[in-house]
Amino acid sequence: MIVHVNQFERGRAAPSGEALACVLDAVEESGLDSRTLASLRVHLDWIQYRANFRDPVTVRRATERDGQLLALAELAVDLRQAAAHAIRDDVSAALAAIGAEAADDRRVFLDDWAPLRDSIIWRFNRLFWQRLGDWEKATGRGFEHALPSGRSDANHPDAVADAVAEFWTLLRELEKRGQLPAEVFAMEIGVGTGGRAALWLDRFQALDEERGTGYYPRVRFLLCDYSLPTLDRALETVGRHRDAVSMIAMDALNPLKALAFLRYKILYIHLTNVYDNLPTDELVRRDGRLYLVEARAYVSPANAAGIAREFGIAPDALRATVDRVLEVGPDVVEDRARGTTFWRAVWDALRLEERLVALADVAEAPVPPGLHQGHLEALLDAAPDDVRFQLSRGAAESFVNTLPLLHPRGYLQVQDIFVTSMDEYRQGFRGPGKLDGSVVNWVNGALLAAVAARAGYDVHVAPFHYRPGSRTSILYTTQRD
Amino acid sequence: MKASLLTTAVVGSYSVPAWLERAKNDFLARRLTRHDLDEIHDTVVKAAIKDQEAAGVDVLTDGELRRDNMVDYFAERLPGVEVYHASKKSAYDFYESVVRSRLATASLGLVGDFRFLRRFTDRVPKVSITGPHTLVKRMRNGYYPNEEAFAMDLARVMNGELRELAKAGATELQIDEPYYSGFPEDLPWAIRALNVLVEGVGARVGLHVCYGNRYGKPSWEGTYRYLFPAVLEARVQQLTLEFARRGEDDVALFGEFAAPFTLGLGIIDVKTHEVETAEVVAERIRQAIKLVPADRVSVNPDCGLMHLPRDVAFAKLVAMVEGTAIVRRELGG
Repeated sequence: MIVHVNQFERGRAAPSGEALACVLDAVEESGLDSRTLASLRVHLDWIQYRANFRDPVTVRRATERDGQLLALAELAVDLRQAAAHAIRDDVSAALAAIGAEAADDRRVFLDDWAPLRDSIIWRFNRLFWQRLGDWEKATGRGFEHALPSGRSDANHPDAVADAVAEFWTLLRELEKRGQLPAEVFAMEIGVGTGGRAALWLDRFQALDEERGTGYYPRVRFLLCDYSLPTLDRALETVGRHRDAVSMIAMDALNPLKALAFLRYKILYIHLTNVYDNLPTDELVRRDGRLYLVEARAYVSPANAAGIAREFGIAPDALRATVDRVLEVGPDVVEDRARGTTFWRAVWDALRLEERLVALADVAEAPVPPGLHQGHLEALLDAAPDDVRFQLSRGAAESFVNTLPLLHPRGYLQVQDIFVTSMDEYRQGFRGPGKLDGSVVNWVNGALLAAVAARAGYDVHVAPFHYRPGSRTSILYTTQRD
Repeated sequence: MKASLLTTAVVGSYSVPAWLERAKNDFLARRLTRHDLDEIHDTVVKAAIKDQEAAGVDVLTDGELRRDNMVDYFAERLPGVEVYHASKKSAYDFYESVVRSRLATASLGLVGDFRFLRRFTDRVPKVSITGPHTLVKRMRNGYYPNEEAFAMDLARVMNGELRELAKAGATELQIDEPYYSGFPEDLPWAIRALNVLVEGVGARVGLHVCYGNRYGKPSWEGTYRYLFPAVLEARVQQLTLEFARRGEDDVALFGEFAAPFTLGLGIIDVKTHEVETAEVVAERIRQAIKLVPADRVSVNPDCGLMHLPRDVAFAKLVAMVEGTAIVRRELGG
């Protein structure tokens, strides 16, 4: 048995020690055979998201592609959730599950085993952004209130002022060289409330007038989002800058698809908290072998019964009802308000069971678009031997389909939560978690660096220093030469 | 119709397969021997020649497949340039290199490459050479008083290689100078260096200027107007420019300045995987020959094809040849 302590924060030694003692006691009593014990991994995590997809104690089994069980099994304890009085029983139950051939089938599953990128949680995520107004009406607060600081770092006035100054300097340099385009394209993908765009345009206009450079009338600011309600709201927020703004409904995964006519034309592209909200895969390497994380969503028997009772649904109809809500919207359950309550209740109760599906070699790994197997090998070469990490597929796909829009002197800024080296994956839990009704994930910055290098850019990640304690960083590109 | 009317040519590089890139990287990581890599290069060059022939291209190259990029192949061969071999892990990246003493005259090995190419084709072989201005921008100068002096001496050394190529039978040479577009203010001395490079070379020399193709994307944007009139002083027989991606407005500059050389008309966009149709190619040629007489135009892609997948690169060459054939028929008819 190997114990992984995946967190290093001060003050958590005691709960780690207590949890470990419980695990060791439970293992001793479990009667697990020596082969299983030799392959057992125990992970002590601290999940920073109050709302997440994990029960306090969970089990992950390793399987072949055909589902045949392998010896490797992982028992994971979330020290934040695990209640001292219950942990022993939870661990014993988990160990019993490892010894059993089949998982607890009283749970109500909402989907089937699939790589994380195809999990039902992404359908919930999409519904949240499409029906944001319904959700906010039900909670009585704007979605930004769910952020750690209660507001988005995107709208920090000092950060925006610096971004504008940097952009203005670029325009000035281009003008000096006679290379300033007649139309100056800037773009924001994932517009939030529109607050950042409004601040940016206010500041840019003021700076332009102050310096007398006449750039503002040339600016074509593109507000891009896949949620029409969000775009409508953002357009209201930018108010007096409407003539400079165009609204484009598009999928963040492939901006080039909608904007191919602007290839090599956009001088500034900004994204805030978009990549952390795009589908991802996770890979695990144990004892030199690679595994792909697969998941299936479930609701505990007690929660399923409670939800079914409250909404007058047979427990075995829960999956079909959820499917309809995700397909059509919350209105399909009684009325919109009740449907939204149902949606929130299911989301709140939703957990993910995970399994590790063995891959024959790197060639079987789902390499994100823009990368090839060699890049993944390089990433693994730089990673610790035992590691679980994200293949930030959606982020990589979006990134690689955004870079070709950049003007040769243009740059991309991504404000998000990044893991910047593969070593960091052993220093804490990196997602996924729930942020209000959406999914949040750390983004594999090392992976994006590999994608960028292939596309001709270097990436740099700087901490967001405008708000003390912020976990956000700013990734920006420079031309690789 | 003249036999040479609207000659089709490649600019230089041909598609680099992912496995070749990995082999080059394995060589850098000492997982592959020089001998094995040379054999791989010989094989892929033959395949590239065959592809160009099959596509019907008149003037072809070895695909530059022996080169990691447009700088290192020369930096490693120029005596007096120190190359830090540990400075790159990916073949396509540039080495860090510095010149610390006056460059000595020596063979750069291009004659061997040319002879290999000629052995495997009966089409017109072309050798492309990175020009002194571009090399000066990529190699650190630790000896010469300024960039111009560095470029002039580079040109002196490389001129010997060009003369040897001509002696060996090379009739088509091309100087690549994409960095002109990034540093238009250098043009007066860059053209002087170019003229030193081509002096006394008994071959037809073309000058290729684009807006960059590093990593398959442009490095700069603008208009070719910056080239004129300075470029008129260049002692070359052809000026090869990119128009497919950027539009053909700048073709008019040839007429406006009565350019004394022929035009290498870039009509294939090498920065997109979308394959042009033959009719699109034909229309681009038709528009250009309204401004420049057809007997002063040859046809080529915008730049090298190295960043395109092989099937796309081949299909684009086929479209180029077929589109040119359409216009040739129209002119002949």
